[in-house]
Amino acid sequence: MNMGELVRIVEEGDVVYNNPIVLEGLPDVGLVGTIAASYAVEKMGYKEIGYIESDLFPPVMVIHKGKLKSPFRIYGDENVVVVLSEVAIPPNAIYPLTEALADWFKSINAKLVISITGLPAKDRMDIEKPEVFAVGNNEDAMKTLKAKQVDLLEEGFIAGTYAIMQRECSKKDLSAIALLAQCYPVYPDPGAAASAIESLEKFLELGIDVAELNERAEEIKLKARDLMRQTVLSAPEMQKEVEQDIPFMYQ
Amino acid sequence: MEIERGITKAMWGYDGNLEPLYDVEDKGSEILVTFDLPRVKKEDVKINTTEDTIEVIAKMSNTICWERWGGIQKRITFQAFKKQIRFPVHIDPEKATASFKNGILRINLPKMRRAVLIGID
Repeated sequence: MNMGELVRIVEEGDVVYNNPIVLEGLPDVGLVGTIAASYAVEKMGYKEIGYIESDLFPPVMVIHKGKLKSPFRIYGDENVVVVLSEVAIPPNAIYPLTEALADWFKSINAKLVISITGLPAKDRMDIEKPEVFAVGNNEDAMKTLKAKQVDLLEEGFIAGTYAIMQRECSKKDLSAIALLAQCYPVYPDPGAAASAIESLEKFLELGIDVAELNERAEEIKLKARDLMRQTVLSAPEMQKEVEQDIPFMYQ
Repeated sequence: MEIERGITKAMWGYDGNLEPLYDVEDKGSEILVTFDLPRVKKEDVKINTTEDTIEVIAKMSNTICWERWGGIQKRITFQAFKKQIRFPVHIDPEKATASFKNGILRINLPKMRRAVLIGID
C-alpha cells in the first residue's frame, strides 16, 4: 500500500509554480518553525493555496473570521510555498504525511525544501541570541549550506517531522535542509524563530525584517501556549529525547 | 467527572487567571521548576512554597483580552498567571532560590533529606 494515499494534499486556486522553495514549519520544539513560517506568511502576504487532509489527523477544524478551515494549511505563491499547522501532528501521521508532502513537492518541481525547527538548549535562558545549525539531505543541499556559511550539525540524532521529511525528500531526489535554532524545548520561542528567519533569509532573500517578531514576542507566546502544550504531549512518542543522545557510532 | 474534565480542561479559567506553561525536572538533590511568564515583570511574581507544594501567582503588566473566540463567544480578560504544583517528595522551602530572566522564572527547590551513612559489613 502506498502510505502517501493516507494523506491528501488538496490544492486550491491555480498557482503556476516556478521551481518554488518550500518552507515546512510544522509544530516541534519551541514552535520555532510554526512561529517563523506564520510570520513569513504574514509579512509576505502569502495566500492560502491548499490544505492537507488525512484520516490520521485529529477530527478538528479551525474557524478564522467566521470561516471554516483545515488546521493543516498551505500558503504561498509561484516562488515560495509554506506548510503550516495549528494543531500538533499525531506521531502516527508523520510517515504518510512526509511521504505525501515530498510527492507533492516533487510534482511542483520544488528546488529546495527547508524545514525550520528548533534545537533544544537546556541553557536557553542564558542565550541572548540563539545560534542556528543545519542539516542537509544530499550533496547539493550540503553545498548550498556551505556556500551560505551555515553551521552544520556534525553528529547526533534528529527526530520528528523534519527528520523524516529529510529522508522522504532524499527518496524523491529532492534537496532538503533543516535549519535548527537553539530554543526552549517546551516554551514557544519567538527569539529562536527570529534567528531562524535571519538564517532563512540567506536562502530566500525576501527581506523579512524580524523587528516586529521580536516586539510581538510576548503576544505570540501567549497565543502559542495551547499548541505548545499539545506538541509537548506528543514529543515522547516522537522520540524527541533521542536528540539528546550520543550516537553509538559517534566519530 | 472524568468525561467532563476531558472535554472542558483548559489552560484558562473564568477567574481571570491563565495557567502558565511550566516544566518540572527532578535533578536528584533538587527539583528544578521553570515557568513561562510572558508580559510579567519580576516584581509582580509571588512564589509561595510549602514542604510539598509551590504556588506561583504572576500579575501581567497589561490585561489580555480575547473576544469572539472558542465556546464562550464573548469578551474574556486575564490579569495573571496562577499555578500550584504538588511534588511527590518533600522540599526544603527555606533553601529554595529563584531567578527571572526574559520572561522565564526558574526555581531551584532542594529536596529535604536526612543523610544516612550506610556502613559496609
